[in-house]
Amino acid sequence: MAQVLTARSLAIRVLLCLAVLAVVMCVCALVGSQKISLKKVFAGPGRSPGENIDYEILVGIRLPRVVLAALVGAALACSGVVLQAILRNPLADPYILGISSGAGLGVIIAVISGLTWSFCGGSPLSVFAFAGAIATVWLVWFVGHFTGKAQVTSLLLAGVVINAFFSAVIMFLTSIARSDQVYSTIFWLMGNITEKNLSVLGVSAGCILAGTIGLFGVSQRLNILSLGEQEAKGLGVDTAKTQIVAFALAAFITAIAVSLSGLVGFVGLVVPHGVRLVAGPDHRQLLPISAIIGGAFLVAADTLARMIVAPAQLPVGVITAIAGGPFFLVLLARYSRKISWLK
Amino acid sequence: MSSIIEVKNLSFAYAPHRRILEDVSFDVGAGAFLSVAGPNGAGKTTLLNLLCGLLGPQAGSIMIDTAPIQSYSARRLAQKIAVVRQEFVPVFDFTVVEVVSMARTPYLGTFGFDGKTDRDAINQALEITDTAQFARRSLRSLSGGERQRVFIARALAQNTAIMLLDEPTSFLDLKHQVGIYDLLKAAQLEKGKTIVAITHDINLAAQYCDQILLLTGRKPPMQGRENGAQNHPGYLIGKAKDIFSPEQIEKVFGVRVFAGKVGKENFFIPLGRFAKDSGQASIS
Repeated sequence: MAQVLTARSLAIRVLLCLAVLAVVMCVCALVGSQKISLKKVFAGPGRSPGENIDYEILVGIRLPRVVLAALVGAALACSGVVLQAILRNPLADPYILGISSGAGLGVIIAVISGLTWSFCGGSPLSVFAFAGAIATVWLVWFVGHFTGKAQVTSLLLAGVVINAFFSAVIMFLTSIARSDQVYSTIFWLMGNITEKNLSVLGVSAGCILAGTIGLFGVSQRLNILSLGEQEAKGLGVDTAKTQIVAFALAAFITAIAVSLSGLVGFVGLVVPHGVRLVAGPDHRQLLPISAIIGGAFLVAADTLARMIVAPAQLPVGVITAIAGGPFFLVLLARYSRKISWLK
Repeated sequence: MSSIIEVKNLSFAYAPHRRILEDVSFDVGAGAFLSVAGPNGAGKTTLLNLLCGLLGPQAGSIMIDTAPIQSYSARRLAQKIAVVRQEFVPVFDFTVVEVVSMARTPYLGTFGFDGKTDRDAINQALEITDTAQFARRSLRSLSGGERQRVFIARALAQNTAIMLLDEPTSFLDLKHQVGIYDLLKAAQLEKGKTIVAITHDINLAAQYCDQILLLTGRKPPMQGRENGAQNHPGYLIGKAKDIFSPEQIEKVFGVRVFAGKVGKENFFIPLGRFAKDSGQASIS
């Protein structure tokens, strides 16, 4: 008999992927420019700071960073899946509706203003990036709905136009900024995983997890929405409500990811496609597995970023683009062949 | 036979001075097969969109199973009416069984997993439509006829009393056209489905349907041939043999036809100006 996705088979696959993520996170936490010995780590923290350096590096620096990379990767991959479904466009990524330029604008404003305060443990850069991203998404949604009835097309157009406009403003501000300000802006735009304090990490993890679970709740409706609005309505889906919920949650977790790490490219485009090629397009499965694999992918990429030119570090966005592209081509070639052979 | 669809004085316009449907009234009995025919732009698809709740009536009313269509939530309406639109290919590469299982959405909870009832409905629909053999293949890899059967399987798995279809046989070869109509007729006779299908093929409609609704657009139709057909400005409803005549078709569709008979039903071959036998394109 034909097979449909059951809760049990999904649970098994998700657990398997979580195991892969755990292994990747452990391995990546252990490797780095500074060798650490597990024996020393298990001896626990010393009585005074600096006594057990291996423990401090692993627990204080590498683990938070690995967790951060996993969170950002999960949020971006998840958001990519959702936007591709809502916009019915395989080329959509989390930044397609202007989040990137909005966050970038927020960042350059924060940099030029020379702000030094912090808000709930977040730097002005993070706070401004988050605010810029959310404000832009709201603007795109508002303009998209204001201009026309064919919502998907007008949303995309509004996103492209607002992206272009804000990019122009970013270029203008960059051209009048001091060179050190330009450097920190560009470094941020490339995407970076840097250490964050634990409270920021905790709050972000809670938000991203809640957002992902919320999106999983609409994942069956995303399947149907990806067929088109008429089809979805015919199957009893409240399309407007589903679109708003999915869009808002995807924008929210993307904004958090962007405020944590800048514009890490490629994860939100490549991971959903890669997972779709292997596991199929059913969003009930695609969404959680993409989130987990996205997390693992970014953890691995960030480890490479801090090892390739150690002790210096590359922006992780460079690695995701360089490694992600060929990896995706291999997947595409391998599975396209398999599919055509099946025909 | 009680009516499951009752349309009363229905009017609809996309723009104030461009009425598509005006004062249309008809009933469809439970378990009946109605074909909606008419020239392009006469409002067939608009009528279908009104019947499935995608558009709201601007005047008049539509009752589904004795309740006004507006009183249904989207989910409850999807438990009553299944829609098969003109053939399309989804953006993402869903398999046949994934597409058919989407039919169960109106019955699922928040996280959307199929239970045993759902799986039974899906498997049964796949078997009836003879699509179980390629259930795990990608929908994109199928031919047009096979794909259309998959969409009918989806409508059957939706387990509704009413099925609405928008030109289910367009783009299909003769064998597949007949195959689709056989499938629909079987669903009507064996499962008691009420079927409303838009069609351009008046010959197939005459052979398979209980009633024809001929929307005539801006050209008022001639009288129905016999007493069976009800005549209104803008549309005509009744049995095929009462509605389709060479004169009627020429008036409504603007094309001359050659007419013949298969059993009790008439058939028509349209013949244009350069057709080989257009000289004899006349009433036989």
